[in-house]
Amino acid sequence: MTVAIGSAPVRLRRQLRIFLLVLGPGLVTAFADNDAGGITTYSLAGAQFGYGLMWVLLVTAIALVITQEVGARLALATGQGLAGLIRERFGVRWTAFAVLTMLVANIGTTVAEFAGVAAALGLFGVSADLAAVMAAAIVVILLARGSFSRIQYAFVAIGAGVSIAYAVSASLANPDWGHAARAVVIPEITWTGAYFLTLVGVVGTTITPWGQALIQSYVADKGLGARDLGPVRADIALGSGLFTNLVAAFIIVACAATIWVAGGTIRDAADAARALGPLVGPSATTLFAIGLFAAALLGLGTVPLSSAYFACEAFGWEAGLHWRVREAPVFYGLLTLFVAGGAVFVVLPGLPLIQVMFLAQVLNGLLLPIILIFVMRLSREQRLGGLRSGRVLYPLGWAITGLASLMSIAFVVSQIFARGAN
Amino acid sequence: MYRLPLPLVPYLSEIQHRRVIEPNGNEVGKLADVALVPQGQFPAAQWAILATPRGEKVVKWSDLAMEIGHLRLRSRLDATPEATLPPDALRLARDLLDKQIVDTHGAKVVRVNDLQLSDTDGQLRLVGADVGLRGLLRRVGAESVAERVAGLAGRKLPRGIIPWHLVEPLEATETATHPPAVRLTIPHQKLALLHPADIADVVEEMTADERVAVFQQLDIETAADTLQEVEPEMQAAIVSDLPEERAADILEEMDPDEAADLLQDLPEERREELVDLMQKEEAQDVEELLTYPEDSAGGIMTSDFLALPAEITAAQAIDLLREKKPDPALTYYLYVVDPQEKLEGVLSLRDLVVAPPETKVTAIMDPNILKVSAETPKEDVASLIAKYDLLALPVVDARGRLRGTVTVDDVVELMLPRGWKKRSGRTLAR
Repeated sequence: MTVAIGSAPVRLRRQLRIFLLVLGPGLVTAFADNDAGGITTYSLAGAQFGYGLMWVLLVTAIALVITQEVGARLALATGQGLAGLIRERFGVRWTAFAVLTMLVANIGTTVAEFAGVAAALGLFGVSADLAAVMAAAIVVILLARGSFSRIQYAFVAIGAGVSIAYAVSASLANPDWGHAARAVVIPEITWTGAYFLTLVGVVGTTITPWGQALIQSYVADKGLGARDLGPVRADIALGSGLFTNLVAAFIIVACAATIWVAGGTIRDAADAARALGPLVGPSATTLFAIGLFAAALLGLGTVPLSSAYFACEAFGWEAGLHWRVREAPVFYGLLTLFVAGGAVFVVLPGLPLIQVMFLAQVLNGLLLPIILIFVMRLSREQRLGGLRSGRVLYPLGWAITGLASLMSIAFVVSQIFARGAN
Repeated sequence: MYRLPLPLVPYLSEIQHRRVIEPNGNEVGKLADVALVPQGQFPAAQWAILATPRGEKVVKWSDLAMEIGHLRLRSRLDATPEATLPPDALRLARDLLDKQIVDTHGAKVVRVNDLQLSDTDGQLRLVGADVGLRGLLRRVGAESVAERVAGLAGRKLPRGIIPWHLVEPLEATETATHPPAVRLTIPHQKLALLHPADIADVVEEMTADERVAVFQQLDIETAADTLQEVEPEMQAAIVSDLPEERAADILEEMDPDEAADLLQDLPEERREELVDLMQKEEAQDVEELLTYPEDSAGGIMTSDFLALPAEITAAQAIDLLREKKPDPALTYYLYVVDPQEKLEGVLSLRDLVVAPPETKVTAIMDPNILKVSAETPKEDVASLIAKYDLLALPVVDARGRLRGTVTVDDVVELMLPRGWKKRSGRTLAR
């Protein structure tokens, strides 16, 4: 090589290579945040309130970047996932509580992902049974490929697919881009209960307990250390700061420009896809359905994985896709429980599908404040050294924890009341 | 097992948070932690950290006496001198509980669910790290419930104790990238110094991963001897978890009868794989043994035996022994066979040595020989050996050909009352 070591182009190229090596945790977590539940929430937000919730996306983007960075720093400094750190700091009882709640909630989330797959493929005339079995098979094949870092490309590819599908459906809808852009910066608040409930839903589907667990076990599993902070931050900024909310924005825009303008009502993402057909054209339905399918699939790949990691790390059982089944029986047992259990819920008639998904939302709402408080308290530990959250990150983190906790509690209360009223 | 009259305090979680009282019964606080300097194989508790209304107070462990349900100070709290912890002291609850233990390669990670203590000679010693399910359940207060549930299902809760002398707490300064973890080392050179029977005792208390690690690290011969001493149910599990090549090497080194017994407990596929990987000669012995039912003389016999050809002389027989260097157990009796391997007679080493060198072995052997067929139930073999005070019994096939021998150590378990072997093992391990 003729260029002297340390000269700008070489340094740049090296930095790029490091970034590509480190890339993954932030991006995948961000893509995974837009799972089936997320797509449904965004569709509802766009269909009901037009561009009225666009500003929330900007706020959640900032909030997500901060909580994810605090979490990633914990993993970078200790090489441990969230569950392990909770265990060491807060003892076995809190850990058991967090693990049990997380597992139950995430089984519910997994069921929701399967339902998402079934709904998406249903638009193509595939039966729910076949869809669930197919999805389970794809997930098993994905997971059989090995560690996080080996399947991350598949995850990223699926995530990119989702993004493109929704970007195209948004532009097909021929929206008022100027209005949309303005709404990001200038809040257009409707002072109704339904508006705020949807707002809480958007935040709740973006900042999740399992997302917090996922980024940390992912960083730890990848073996990243303190010196990778720079690339990891870039990864998080790109993923959580940009992609999560860009996808959300496209969905909102697509629904706002069509269903909202036409004054239609929808109940879920599949409804939204169906509604787009007559308004935009059959290709919009197809794209929307593909996006939902891919998003649900990504959720199916990550939610069981992150749950199994969480539980195993807490209790000191072998965890990771590089172990053989006999070496990590609990880990694989949990994965199987999630994937098979979730599929069964969708396939077998008469099971309380809706109730389970509802329970998942409530439990996640209850768990989120606790998880965030744990994360923030851990973020000041001496042993983190230079990775301790500092004068900016720490107060911001607590502010977000406070706000998100309030919203979570409000959400849980409203959900329980809404159900009680039915 | 009988219970000691004093309360046994086997786990840290069971004494932490216990009440601490003064000699007059006045409660002054709770036991917050126990501290010690980790030196020696099983270090003794040296300090107690008391949580009192006025904050933590460190006292010498010897200033406390353990009583049922509480700890009693030997003098009033104010009169008990405050101790200071040296920098290298470990606080068990704070520094060890819930922390991770990684193995020497930094790969496998378990968590310390509890710490096993032992009250020996008035010293409370740290003897092991509980990394098993039981410890976890104990910590959340569900051990007895879970035990009952498991009992209903006819199962026992698994234990997972790593003996303390195999655990090496790392200094905080030693860590490269990530903060202190208790590092598990299995100093195999140290372990290998023990008698295989003692290694087996240690191994039986370990978790599955460590067991496999030990069998990876021991030299083949010691590994084989140790495996033979391990409880039969566990033997199969260990061999299943070892890499095939390694397992086959160890099996070759084992007594063929022990190896055959072990292989009998494995799934057929795995068994065939392993036999294929073994050296021809050893594999043949083992395969032959595998054809006999486990409970018969054929199933427990060893096919290693020393047969003297009928035509040789005493001097030639001694040369043969010198050349083959057989195990002591094989020289209890020397068998004489004809060219068709038919059992002709038996003689002892003494007979051989005192006979004139040129005498034929057929002239000094005893042709009236007690033998059993391969199908004889092993209980019958045991009672024959016991009745006639034998050290070994030859096993012949239908045509009278010598196939193997059952030595007294193959049947000694059948002669003992049930469970005796296990209990004696535990007692000696203490």
